[in-house]
Amino acid sequence: MTTSGSSFVQRYRIALLTLLALVLLPFVIGLFEGASPFEVWSNQSGMSRFIQGLAIEIFILALYALSYDLIFGFTGLLSFGHSMFFAVGAYLTGIALKSFGLNLWQTFGILMLAALAQALLFGIVLPRVKGITFALVTLGLSSVFHIVVMSRELGDYTGADVGLQGVIIPDFISPATERLRLYFVTLTILVVFYLIYRRFVDSPLGRVCKAIRENEGRAQMLGYNTFLFKLAALILSSLTAAIAGALHTIYQPIVSPDIAGLGFTVTALLMILIGGVGTLHGALAGAAIFRLLDFGLRRYLGESASFVNGAIYVLIVLFLPYGIVGTWQLKASLSIAHMRQGWQRLLEMVGVNVERRASRE
Amino acid sequence: MDTDIVLETRSLTKAFGALVAVDRVNIRVRRRSLHAIIGPNGAGKTTLFNLLSGNLEPTSGQVLFKGRDITRQPVHRTIHLGIGRSFQITNIFPNLTVFENIRLAAQATGGDNFKFWRPAAHFKRYEVRAWEVIEKVGLKERAFALARTLPHGDQRKLELGMILAPDPEVLLLDEPTAGMAAEQVPELIALIQDIQRSGEKTVMLVEHNMNVVMSVSDTITVMHQGRVLAEGTPAEIAANEEVQTAYLGGLYQLSM
Repeated sequence: MTTSGSSFVQRYRIALLTLLALVLLPFVIGLFEGASPFEVWSNQSGMSRFIQGLAIEIFILALYALSYDLIFGFTGLLSFGHSMFFAVGAYLTGIALKSFGLNLWQTFGILMLAALAQALLFGIVLPRVKGITFALVTLGLSSVFHIVVMSRELGDYTGADVGLQGVIIPDFISPATERLRLYFVTLTILVVFYLIYRRFVDSPLGRVCKAIRENEGRAQMLGYNTFLFKLAALILSSLTAAIAGALHTIYQPIVSPDIAGLGFTVTALLMILIGGVGTLHGALAGAAIFRLLDFGLRRYLGESASFVNGAIYVLIVLFLPYGIVGTWQLKASLSIAHMRQGWQRLLEMVGVNVERRASRE
Repeated sequence: MDTDIVLETRSLTKAFGALVAVDRVNIRVRRRSLHAIIGPNGAGKTTLFNLLSGNLEPTSGQVLFKGRDITRQPVHRTIHLGIGRSFQITNIFPNLTVFENIRLAAQATGGDNFKFWRPAAHFKRYEVRAWEVIEKVGLKERAFALARTLPHGDQRKLELGMILAPDPEVLLLDEPTAGMAAEQVPELIALIQDIQRSGEKTVMLVEHNMNVVMSVSDTITVMHQGRVLAEGTPAEIAANEEVQTAYLGGLYQLSM
């Protein structure tokens, strides 16, 4: 028992240490400001509250990135409509709480039904379109949703182009008065979903999803009705993204129509590209890097931050084509050959003909 | 109803526009026989296989499996009926291990596909089956290599292993030796013969190597321009003058 216990700790030591660090984080940050853990506990440390807020945003983005990694990284479905999965959760939560005065549990129930419905909506087109066509059809579906939430006619509910504002969040989970609790609730949800995903991708079902990503035609010949497996991945992904959207509304507590746009789908793609496609923990790392980079650069560079931001992402993709976690897993360390490859890709991108240069030398 | 016939086509036709790739083909495959389909390139052999395996829908005609009409079955049902099909062009999961390629093939017909709450490793019977098959096709040393890293000959063996794993009654093998080094061919053919005899399976084989076809087949069907030109035992086919003149003689070279 002890041996299996210690091997468990050994095997998951990085994950366990990260989790421990995240549990202690609010209290440690409090200490920097001279606030005792008790003061942090009663939400009195300003700096800790600030960091908690940033961490909550990262957890929400990580949940969203995970949901995209499942369909894109593991199942090979390129969806350009993923932001809709998130935005449906965010808007529904806001509208249910604000306009209909439902409690959180009723809201959660409606959310799950809506998430299922939108996965089925995407599922309708699944057997008919593949690859880039699927991407475009999903883009179309989410664009319709974007236009609907921006429309004047529904402005009473959605706030149209201004966004949904004035959502009253129940006291026990309010980001204003109970932020530490919200921090731990969000962290717990993220950990639970991460564990569900880990299990899912290694289950018989998840293994078939990987086979579909690798060679869908062959998976069908093996006897798999690939439609059902893709639909299963879409449903889990949709549920997860909707919950991420709901947490977003609870934390903010406003909903901007921007989260329904293509830009936010690209955010999901970017996060898993940074972290490593098809790795799950890459999605977590990607979300943290994405948010911290954006936050740090914006703080010191102001509006020109997005320019530098973009350049950094391009460099990451060129030099670490498998993402940060992916590259690390492949043990493809930052060797000189590796650097040279990245450098060549950069030269090719800016239009320098590498072959011609090489032949001249 | 002749119970000795396991697979039968009735006037099976597939047209791609004006091109009739398979033209009113009637074939009856006897149980536990090794039935070869030969013919020059473009004769419609692979199209015929695609119709049998459900990869293509016929323009008209029927496919019967043990007397039951399976003509418009979706492709993913084929293996559940007991028909496995391999491809002329290697068709595997390149970034999965050899073991996982075959394990997936074994899992497909087992009924545990949607159990997402248990790890795949929990379902030992698929792993046991995968090891049996890996041993049979001789890939034990390469079991944990990624499929794309295998040499071509080993990929052909993997392809064969993937259709053996669910233990189908009928194997449709589309040029299993395609692209293999000449010295590897006898080994694979011996393996196919062994599988057919000891496993009491029915094998349909598309093959270009005449020596192989003549030595292993029970029945040979000769196709030419989408039609069945002749059918019979190897001796009958070798003695058939029409086949001699039309196919084994000049035309084969012409159509190459």
